Amino acid sequence: MKNIDNRKYIIALIFILIPLIFVIRLFFMQVVDDKWKERAAQISENKVITYPARGIVYDRNKIKLISNEVYYDIRVIPNQMSEDMDSFAFAKLIDISIEDYERQMNKARDYSYRKSSEMVKQIPPDEFADIAPELYKYPGFYEVERTLRIYPNPIAAHVLGYMSEVDSTNIKADPYYKSGDLIGKSGIEKSYEKVLRGKKGVKYYLQDAIGVETDRYENGKYDTLAEQGSSITLTIDAELQKYGERLMQNKRGSVVVLEPSSGEILTMISSPTYDPNLLVGRRLGQNYGELMKDTTLPLQNRSANSTYPPGSTFKLLMALIALQEGVITEEASFPCTKSLVGCHNHPTARGVSDGVKMSCNPYFYYLTRKIIQQGKHKSHFVDAAEGLDIWAKYLKSFGLGVDLKTDFPAIRYGFVPNTNFYDNEFPSKSNPYGKYGWAYSTIYSNSIGQGEVLVSPLEMANIAAIMANRGHFYYPHFIKEIEGQDIPDIYTIKQKTMVEPENFEPVIDGMWRVVHEPGGTARRARVDSLNICGKTGTAENFKIINGKREQLVDHSIFIAFAPKDDPKIAVSVYIENSGFGGTWAAPIASLLIEKYLTGAIADTNKENRILEADLMPIKVVPKKK
Amino acid sequence: MRGKEDKILADIDWALVGLYLLLVIMGISNIYSSVYDPMKPDLFDLSTEHGKQIMWVGIALFLGVIVMIIDGSLIRKLSFWVYGVLMLLLVAVLFTEPINGARSWFGWGSFGVQPSELAKLGACLALSAHLSNIPITKNKLAPSISISYLVQLVSSNWKTIAILGIPCVLVLLQPDAGTFIVFTSFILVLYREGYAGNILLFLLVAVIIAVITLIVADSSFIFLKIKMSGKFGIVLALLIMGLVFYLLIRQFVLKRNRPPLYRAMIGSLIVSILFVNFVEWGYSTFLDDHQKERIDLLLGKIEDPDGKGYNINRAKAAIGSGGFAGKGYQQATLANASQKHVPMQSTDFIFCTWSEERGFLGSAFLVILYSILLIKIVSVAERQRSRYTRIFAYCVAGIFFYHFMINVGMGIGLAPVIGIPLPLFSYGGSSVLTFSLLLFILIKLDSERKVVLQ
Ligand SMILES: [Zn+2]
Repeated sequence: MKNIDNRKYIIALIFILIPLIFVIRLFFMQVVDDKWKERAAQISENKVITYPARGIVYDRNKIKLISNEVYYDIRVIPNQMSEDMDSFAFAKLIDISIEDYERQMNKARDYSYRKSSEMVKQIPPDEFADIAPELYKYPGFYEVERTLRIYPNPIAAHVLGYMSEVDSTNIKADPYYKSGDLIGKSGIEKSYEKVLRGKKGVKYYLQDAIGVETDRYENGKYDTLAEQGSSITLTIDAELQKYGERLMQNKRGSVVVLEPSSGEILTMISSPTYDPNLLVGRRLGQNYGELMKDTTLPLQNRSANSTYPPGSTFKLLMALIALQEGVITEEASFPCTKSLVGCHNHPTARGVSDGVKMSCNPYFYYLTRKIIQQGKHKSHFVDAAEGLDIWAKYLKSFGLGVDLKTDFPAIRYGFVPNTNFYDNEFPSKSNPYGKYGWAYSTIYSNSIGQGEVLVSPLEMANIAAIMANRGHFYYPHFIKEIEGQDIPDIYTIKQKTMVEPENFEPVIDGMWRVVHEPGGTARRARVDSLNICGKTGTAENFKIINGKREQLVDHSIFIAFAPKDDPKIAVSVYIENSGFGGTWAAPIASLLIEKYLTGAIADTNKENRILEADLMPIKVVPKKK
Repeated sequence: MRGKEDKILADIDWALVGLYLLLVIMGISNIYSSVYDPMKPDLFDLSTEHGKQIMWVGIALFLGVIVMIIDGSLIRKLSFWVYGVLMLLLVAVLFTEPINGARSWFGWGSFGVQPSELAKLGACLALSAHLSNIPITKNKLAPSISISYLVQLVSSNWKTIAILGIPCVLVLLQPDAGTFIVFTSFILVLYREGYAGNILLFLLVAVIIAVITLIVADSSFIFLKIKMSGKFGIVLALLIMGLVFYLLIRQFVLKRNRPPLYRAMIGSLIVSILFVNFVEWGYSTFLDDHQKERIDLLLGKIEDPDGKGYNINRAKAAIGSGGFAGKGYQQATLANASQKHVPMQSTDFIFCTWSEERGFLGSAFLVILYSILLIKIVSVAERQRSRYTRIFAYCVAGIFFYHFMINVGMGIGLAPVIGIPLPLFSYGGSSVLTFSLLLFILIKLDSERKVVLQ
């Protein structure tokens, strides 16, 4: 019994021992160890992010394309508001509905009475000029400056891109971003986001029990300043870009201009375009919505994100491949057999140069057949399968359907069909031609740029540059300089095609004659003394309208370079639904070349004809009865 | 001749009453500080937690007066009735809509009652009534733990096991692991009442095995080039230990003394292996993910300074940053309602607010105050002639001690994060009522110590 009564002492001992352990532990935590005080400071300090100004974007002549402007956010601290405030007048002043005002106010009160919340954001300076003198009448409301983009020259909207608030994927991908931050969503703003964004700064404040900032944490020891993003210089020529956009007014299509000796993109136009200033500030959402709804697709970048059939411009490449493969000589002559493929009336082409000049369809039908059906195998089908892959390999060396390493987001590549494609995927994946189930006779439309082959205007401009360079190119790119950084080496490495320079001469001769000789298809592109070499094309165009396949007016295509013997500029022009390439695309290309090379336009009639042309409505070809 | 009431009043232990009032008032002032809202500065505002707490304390004091007036013998007589009614409530609560995943609340508007809190009171009363009715048997101290010993233990004490087991099962069904753990505090009472110290030893071993099981159960290791689970590893270790004991016994024990030792050894081995499996099964079956995480955090299986261990890290930062003298009243920068850096700062983590504002001086004072209260209850228990009162006092001590140990231990990282209130200090009607009634009944029974013989 006594034994059991002793247990009370053990229990009492536990009741003393455990609290004693606690007291010792508390002493270490609260008095000895400073770790927890640091942790507490980290937890309770208020981190205020200061936003850097974004890097400035210049054109190649240091003209500002994108700059920054101070915008204003209006914030509110609910418990500093006066009780007899006129909410209606205030909502009217800051130009929001009373419902929006109430909603923001409720959000603010839910968050905190003592801390500030956003009321409206990104008010442009001209609108804020009207608000500022009235704001003092509304205690509790105050403005915060924030820099946003401004486009002093409202050009090159598709190239420059726009910015908007980060979404959850951006935040997940990069911890730099916090909800509400802006990020480049397209164009240069997107591809050079990390260069342009700069570095955020941080200021640490301590807070008291109710969350009011009291002091700088550790006297600002851990604070960092925001650093402005690096400025960049683009290869874009603002003058040329602006002029091109003027020419492309009321037309749908694209223009890409390259400097052949460097691959620098001088101009990239997608028309219709829009004023990039529309996609800045608090009207972004509304304006974006309206541009989205526009049936002429102003938001689409036709130069980099659209593909078209290359049309007759493709014949240049057929001629080059045939010469390089040795399946023809430059004197090769083929009859204009209109029963095979349609053609116009012209003298018989006696050589490659003639074929290019006259753009004779049967000529290139026969010529391409010699590439595809080289007669190495008895079976036409086996022969074609081998020939087509040789053909496709050449085209890829010209940068078609492959990554051109252009520093631009969401680029769409063209398409070069190969043997695998016709074996397994065409006309459909479920019912393809099959291995050795096709020959040249099945796929010959590609020879005149119509079949399954697709190219982008950027790729075609690169083809023009390859013609100018007689067989090599540099990856087309936008970046010329990055402040404090080198530009990537890949843009200075010469990319060789599989065709030797000497094989270019007869083809280029044909291109010169296209523009300069009677019977050439692009005499409208002629500018005396500039020696423009070019090639027209027309891409057939179908569209499903109301469930029916309608033949639309062809796209007008022209690629060119100049001058013939020391090329400075290479151009591709696509004008949608405007018919024959020589009519619209060729003069636009020549005006751009002339403007770039001479700085002025001699033939104002030619210029006016283009400026006045309205090719916007989608035209349907009248049905032949 | 003095009236009966006067006598009782005279025999009331005013020191206990004083400790009670001190804790309750400190608690209210602390709740006021931790949830202080400048928009609602009124101490008695019933829409605030401090206002409600004052209301609950008022109700508790009112019930306390009733307890003082009624006869102590009535409490003893009603013990099983109270227990029965509270068990029915525990059953009934299982049919309510779950709140935060547990069916543990009867709610009326913004007021609610947790029957699991009050069930502790019922268990105290019933256990006291039951144990005080069975004569003190000299529990044979079993030579060791064996199956036959366990069977005998269960069969001779099935009523005790039922009284404690029923609420344990019912709260686990809610599920409310915190309250379940508090019910294990009755072991303290059993210990004091002469139940074999071996049970405690047994439980200690069980806890150690359980902890090891939880640490290694879902990891695996390579032994003799065979990959095996952690659980198998423990079983293997137990078997090796058994072998070692067997060899030791053979070496050092006289032959005629060996059989009972072998029996005990094999018995404990089987029980241990079953127990390991049971722990693992219970861990994966009964605990939900956040409870598992809490246990894993405490066991050091996962380390995540600002992820899952978020709460406990911030709680520790709040306490640690209090320093020697604290940040001052209403100056807590972490453990306060407007910042919400520390969660549940008026209930489960109330100790954080107190320690942050009052520093080491305050926190040590509070810990010592609880220690004094516990010792005081033990001394009250030991002066009883009535076994009922003594057992009840130890029940109260055990429950207060567990709540105190787990709540404070959790804040300073010495106990797992189990959300149970700090007695008389945390915000919460049910817990204030329960702890108040426990103390009031004890004070009442104690005041009759000179009247009651048995
Ligand atoms: Zn022809």
